[in-house]
Amino acid sequence: MAVWDLTVAVEELGPEAPPLSISVTSDLHIGGVILKIVEKTQMKKDWSDHALWWEQKQQWLLRPAWTLDKCGIHADARLTFTPQHKPLRLGLPNGMTVRLRACFSGPTFRTVMGICKLLSMRHPEELSLLRPVEEKKKKKDKEAQEEVYDLTGVPLTSGSVPNLYNGMPAHFADSPQTEAVYKMLSISQPPPAPEVIAKMYRPASVVDKAHIHSRWLDSSRSLMQQGIQENDRLWLRFKYYTFHELEPKYDAVRLTQLYEQARWAILLEDIDCTEEEMMLFGALQYHINKVSQSEPQAMMSCPAMDDLDSALQSLEVKMEGESSSMDMLETMTTAPELHDYLKIFRPKRLTLKGYKQYWFVFKDASISYFKSKEEGFGEPIQKMDLKGCEVAGDVNVAGQKFCIKLLIPSPEGMNEVYLRCENEQQYSRWMAACRLAAKGKSLADSSFSSEVKNIQAFLSMQHSNPGAASAQNDENINTHSLVSPRYHKKYKPKQLTPRILEAYQNVAQLSLTDAILRFLQIWQALPDFGVSFFVVRFKGSRKDEVLGIAPNRLIRIDLGVGDVVKTWRYNNMRQWNVNWDIRQVAIEFDGNVNIAFGCVTADCKIVHEYIGGYIFMSTRSREQSDTLNEELFHKLTGGHEAL
Amino acid sequence: MTHSSPFDPPESLNELEDHDLDALMADLVAEINDVEESMTITGKGGTAKPHAEPAGLPFPPPPSSHSAPQPTPLNVVQNSLGAAKVPSPELPPPPEPPKQLLPEDIEAQAKADKIKLALEKLKEAKVKKSWVASDRSLSSSWWPQLVVKVIMNDGSSKTLMVDERQIVRDVLDNMFEKTHCDCNVDWCLIETNPELNIERGFEDHENLVEPLSAWTRDSENQIYFLERIDKYAIFKNPQNFYLWKKDKKSLQDMKDKDKELLLQENFCGSSIIVPDLEGVLHLKEDGKKSWKQRYFLLRASGIYYVPKGKTKTSRDLVCFVQFDNVNVYYGKEFKSKYKAPTDFCFVLKHPQIQKESQYIKYLCCDDAWTMTLWVTGIRIAKVGRTLPFDSSFRELGS
Repeated sequence: MAVWDLTVAVEELGPEAPPLSISVTSDLHIGGVILKIVEKTQMKKDWSDHALWWEQKQQWLLRPAWTLDKCGIHADARLTFTPQHKPLRLGLPNGMTVRLRACFSGPTFRTVMGICKLLSMRHPEELSLLRPVEEKKKKKDKEAQEEVYDLTGVPLTSGSVPNLYNGMPAHFADSPQTEAVYKMLSISQPPPAPEVIAKMYRPASVVDKAHIHSRWLDSSRSLMQQGIQENDRLWLRFKYYTFHELEPKYDAVRLTQLYEQARWAILLEDIDCTEEEMMLFGALQYHINKVSQSEPQAMMSCPAMDDLDSALQSLEVKMEGESSSMDMLETMTTAPELHDYLKIFRPKRLTLKGYKQYWFVFKDASISYFKSKEEGFGEPIQKMDLKGCEVAGDVNVAGQKFCIKLLIPSPEGMNEVYLRCENEQQYSRWMAACRLAAKGKSLADSSFSSEVKNIQAFLSMQHSNPGAASAQNDENINTHSLVSPRYHKKYKPKQLTPRILEAYQNVAQLSLTDAILRFLQIWQALPDFGVSFFVVRFKGSRKDEVLGIAPNRLIRIDLGVGDVVKTWRYNNMRQWNVNWDIRQVAIEFDGNVNIAFGCVTADCKIVHEYIGGYIFMSTRSREQSDTLNEELFHKLTGGHEAL
Repeated sequence: MTHSSPFDPPESLNELEDHDLDALMADLVAEINDVEESMTITGKGGTAKPHAEPAGLPFPPPPSSHSAPQPTPLNVVQNSLGAAKVPSPELPPPPEPPKQLLPEDIEAQAKADKIKLALEKLKEAKVKKSWVASDRSLSSSWWPQLVVKVIMNDGSSKTLMVDERQIVRDVLDNMFEKTHCDCNVDWCLIETNPELNIERGFEDHENLVEPLSAWTRDSENQIYFLERIDKYAIFKNPQNFYLWKKDKKSLQDMKDKDKELLLQENFCGSSIIVPDLEGVLHLKEDGKKSWKQRYFLLRASGIYYVPKGKTKTSRDLVCFVQFDNVNVYYGKEFKSKYKAPTDFCFVLKHPQIQKESQYIKYLCCDDAWTMTLWVTGIRIAKVGRTLPFDSSFRELGS
């Protein structure tokens, strides 16, 4: 058989070195070619990760037993002998960048599996990679080199379940650097500066939202095949909005990153919500940040902590609370009470015009007021039971206005009462007492002091005068960091503070994990949650329309009005297929309903994969939650390129 | 009916106070055993036995409201001790995710949950004590009678003793024993307010004494024991609520498997999904006799409306009401009472409000079905997580 020369570039020989030329015959198999290359380099190193990449055809030669002839390789082929795993800069949902070694030769689906294993995130099938939105490069910005967390030195573990060490997967416990990476992965980031939010790209329309989805990589092809180079930047994001078995004990990183993705979706108005919902999201972010900074040890990312340990810990906390309130009960003479001269205003009563000063006593869950301190032991002018009432603050620190607005229910309706305090300290205590009483708790409740502190912390946000804005510490967050830019324009930070504080009351007692879960719950309950948009052209229609792909349904949206025109549920779907020649997706539903469309903003493979992906997600069951049916995924999403 | 798993009464104040950590741990172990027991009961799908009728009033007689006594410190301690010692049924454990009871649950999970439950119980004991203690001074709002008259559909009535800790489900079970009804899931307790012409079916998990304590002394309110198909219609035919926009024909023919899938999607995920209701409703203007139309939308966070000249995008919506402090009631004969466009009205108000007030929100729908949709949707938004989806749905299925 004829001997001919095959040229193979080997990176390890240096960028200037000419490609190797090796003599081969067409019946030589790939394994033999590799052997010859290695011999020829005369370099001693571990070549086991290396494989041949065929430049012109953009494909890997991964079958060692195939002959050159079978592969279709002739003398004109330009091959590269290169590692299958290469460093990749990965943008995480929390905005951080981690550098790690990813597989460039397997299907992207498997690459993501490897990445998620390294980052210790379960259910990699819910995530995928996408090309980042190009950042507008301003020269000034270039100086600010982004911080990159490096994980390239971490060996890829082979075991299926990562061993735990020091409360983190063992491969993170190697060095302080990797420990820092784990901390970054598993603890939510502090709220971003308002300017950062304002500067970031925000989709302005549903069409804008559709464009992001053109960036997803093809799960059935390898990174190299899709033009991704060593050290390129990609984003890792949750792609399918069905989060299988979120379990705080095992999902520290997954939960945190999911929270981060949800938080940014809210902040950048990727998903719409109402003002009230935004305030609650803001309050939860504030709380999550506060708790994760104050108790980094008790964070959920300690999966190693034994149940009993945590139970004991909570028990101790409980006992402290218990004993203090017990003392209160025993010595009722020193029962907690508030008394002060305050001013009251009741808009409904004609007899009282404007604020009038009285001697106020707050006891248990009610407020009584008297003409003066001296008469404080007699019959009060009025006693107000605060159980079930609504409490709102009206505060302006600069203007020294500290008002508490109460709406007290009675059989006749709600009675409006305004209490005016002298200063911050007084306000914090009375406000805290009112808040507790509204929930039916008395002053003796152990949460009183933490409630006072919360209110003070919020008031301190109003202190920050513009000049000192840069000197913010963790306790002193600009409330603009917690809401989307729309509300930066609408409200000043000090106007936002009381609104967020109001929402904060209902979440202030949540643990870190519960707060994150609550955030995710409210996010998931939003009407537009989980819908990925694509601009499509329906068969027989002359205008562009929007197709929304959700976990359980497809939605047809009129671009002009923005209204949902039609909804099709997957469980009524008979079959769907793609005509790859005309790039058209055709779907058949029960009752002879047929739809077909071509894709405008994204390749139809992406749309096909999205729909097939959700069908795949719905086949997952509790029983085999740890085994991933890769083959089924490719079958449902691969199209004609399937394995 | 996983809702009435009985627990032992909490320790008295004194005992708890003297406990050191060791003793508490011993308790904890006992609690875990309790939980285990109750879990086996519920796991078998059996009904937990209703507790015995409380012998006598389970707490001290309330002070008469006229004298408005300022209890001496000693008094308070004695009273609260007395109250805490009396055995009384506990609140049910917090609703567990439905997966809890599935046999394939891993052991570790079960253990963690048990401990969590036990801790919650300890905490509950604490809450209860402070509640008892603080109630001394709330004499004016204290409802002395725990004897409740329940009116049957034939006009006759039954008299029940209702314990302060009893939930509506307990009372219903009690009624099932006292009457010869068929005990189906549609039976409910209904509160009527003749002054406002409104009524509301209590949710099974609600405490019964609390809403009764909001009644005024001269109240003509009544409690009825009636069948209401609306009560759990959402579980029988979820498609009517979640797919209300689809044509009636396809909803009627829906397969059971598809219904179950809908329920799984909306009730068994990590978040309860509220039906996406929207449409024009008539709103009674504050203090006026006139009704004006507005476009309303239901979201998990409240009811919103579209302000004039705006679109219905989320960010433009104006919040009409949030559900923390209001309940939803059916209005009756509002056409004649309030000149409503139709008689298909519902009302949102703070449970304490008993008389006409500008703080009551009156809404009117074009037809009966729209009204049912909205009232049910609001109930899901308000108490969705505590609706006994799992238990009642299994019953319905069998």
